[in-house]
Amino acid sequence: MGDQLPVLHTENLSVGYRGARESSGTVFGGITVDARRSELVALFGPNGIGKSTLLRSIVRLLSPLSGNIYLSGSDIRSYPANQIARMVGFVSTEPVRVNNLKVRDLVSLGRYPHTGWLGRLGEQDYIKVDEALDMVGISRLAGKNIDQLSDGERQRAMIARTLAQDTGIIVLDEPTAFLDLPNKYGIVHLLHRLAAEKGRTIIFSTHDLSIAIQEATKIWLMLPGQICQGAPEDLILDDQFGRMFENTNLSFSTGKGEFRIKRELREIIGLRGPATERRWTRNALERNGFRVAENEECGATVSIDIEGGTRTWKLMMQGSTSRFTSIYDLCSCLTSAGAKAF
Amino acid sequence: MTTPSDPDRRNNKTIILIVTLSASVLLLFLAGILTGTVRIPLADIFIILSGGEASRPEWHIIVTDLRLPRAITALVAGAGLSVSGLLMQTVFRNPLAGPYVLGISAGASLGVAVVVMGLTLIPGYMVSAGGDWLVVIAAWAGSGAVLVLILLVSFRVRDIMTILILGIMFGSATGALVSVMQYFSTETMLRSFMIWTMGSLGGVTGPQLAIMVPAVVGGLLIAGASVKMLNTMLLGENYARSLGVNITAARIIIFVSTSLLAGTITAFCGPIAFIGIAVPHLARMMFRNADHAVLLPATALTGAAVLLASDIVSRLPAMEGSLPINSVTALIGIPVVIWIVIRNQKLTGIF
Repeated sequence: MGDQLPVLHTENLSVGYRGARESSGTVFGGITVDARRSELVALFGPNGIGKSTLLRSIVRLLSPLSGNIYLSGSDIRSYPANQIARMVGFVSTEPVRVNNLKVRDLVSLGRYPHTGWLGRLGEQDYIKVDEALDMVGISRLAGKNIDQLSDGERQRAMIARTLAQDTGIIVLDEPTAFLDLPNKYGIVHLLHRLAAEKGRTIIFSTHDLSIAIQEATKIWLMLPGQICQGAPEDLILDDQFGRMFENTNLSFSTGKGEFRIKRELREIIGLRGPATERRWTRNALERNGFRVAENEECGATVSIDIEGGTRTWKLMMQGSTSRFTSIYDLCSCLTSAGAKAF
Repeated sequence: MTTPSDPDRRNNKTIILIVTLSASVLLLFLAGILTGTVRIPLADIFIILSGGEASRPEWHIIVTDLRLPRAITALVAGAGLSVSGLLMQTVFRNPLAGPYVLGISAGASLGVAVVVMGLTLIPGYMVSAGGDWLVVIAAWAGSGAVLVLILLVSFRVRDIMTILILGIMFGSATGALVSVMQYFSTETMLRSFMIWTMGSLGGVTGPQLAIMVPAVVGGLLIAGASVKMLNTMLLGENYARSLGVNITAARIIIFVSTSLLAGTITAFCGPIAFIGIAVPHLARMMFRNADHAVLLPATALTGAAVLLASDIVSRLPAMEGSLPINSVTALIGIPVVIWIVIRNQKLTGIF
């Protein structure tokens, strides 16, 4: 569907802050990206590179410094504020802490761009609010106060609010920060479903690369001085993620799709055994500074046996053999033997 | 109940509370007229209020010229100050915001100080604070000036907390100016200024009411028309803007309403402390609702009831005159504020 018109695209966009203050000026320039209907876009990049600034520009909380943002093909500046409010919904990182505010009332606030000057809700608005609560799976919490919710539930309520706002585009700034793992996956998967099933375009910034790789249609990757976009897999194969933390001790493993700490590995240890056990033993050995030669015999060699459901690690070194029942014991022995053994 | 999907909005509890509060306001209003050093039977009061002739002609004067204006002043001032406090707490998203904190009362004090202490330097000119038109206009100008200053700053400064801090600074600066002027003034001037700062509900006369009541009602109507904006502002400015609210316009509208309410009332009654801060919290406690469509009338009614009750308390010692209303409202308001601070150790998100 490459010929489909993007719901949102930017052209050589520069984002940042106007004014004479110290913090003013361009934060990030040359942004040319796009997002289509039903796409879940993950915005990924190091801290402080300008992810929030870009997202705030897309929801028109900031004006573009130069270049253009187009919503449905028209310049964002050409829309009045209440029109943008019907096209783009926003969930920020700001915590919303209001006493006595019920979940249903919070979600109802999303209907405001569609109501009159008193903000009175009609039949249709109530239906939309109920639908929104249902879509994110918190209908049973509708009557609760938002300060009684868990972090994950509150984030769902905030998403429901943007759903009630009934916008084609939803922008979320780090919706999974501060959440535990099941909630992180739950929220991103929810966003994925909303994009796919409800035809929304959802853009969210995140630091959870592995979740983004699993769920996002597309990643906007902000690298120092440059932004590139593509399916997560394309970016992996092109080794774009590796450039993200170039000057740090992180390296990106194209094979595994994850970041690892670069280590200086010294002594070589041979390693044999079943695949899964081998993988995690290797993980532990590398953490302790050993270079691993899989399925080879070296001066020191570890072989893993499984008998009757019990794993045994056998370390053969300088003609003697020691046995261990856990990776922990194996590593303790190796590190305490340390320099003198090799 | 409008629709089955909306069980909370037209909550029965809310209606019962509103009715009860309205009844209390009415009763306190009557009680206010009934209380005083001269005992007037309830029957006569009803006769006088409905335009008839009371048993004694002096009762007629006491009720229509003294007690009725006083009760109306308490009613209007209580409702107006409380609503101005509610508006500020929502706009600044700060539970301790109020007309005092933003320096509106201090601005009024400065105006009054200039008039009372400055003009008396002109030989042969004598100003008596309280009840004098010049004092009222000066207070109005003073509070209006502070609000315009804050408004101008808010065009340039986006961050609402910065504006709050600047408001406190303006307030302190005007307070300091007043102190300097006090240092150079004579004892009589000082005394008449101090009487004004104690606040008074009794000094407002009929013709003054004719200005004060429409101004306050106007402020309340503007506030009522801003319910939608106020609700979106609960979530913070960014969310309000993402819902299509023009934040600058909203601020201007709400500040105009606030200065009409707080400025007018301070001008006529002097600075009345703690009503603005404490009453919105009382209303939130009772109604457990964040919707301004409910909170606004609730706050207005609660404020009216509290100030009417305070006024009655201030006259209970049955002395000549009454206790300073400011002391009574402070004694009622301070425990509420202390309770708020202790209950919510984290002061962000207290609404």
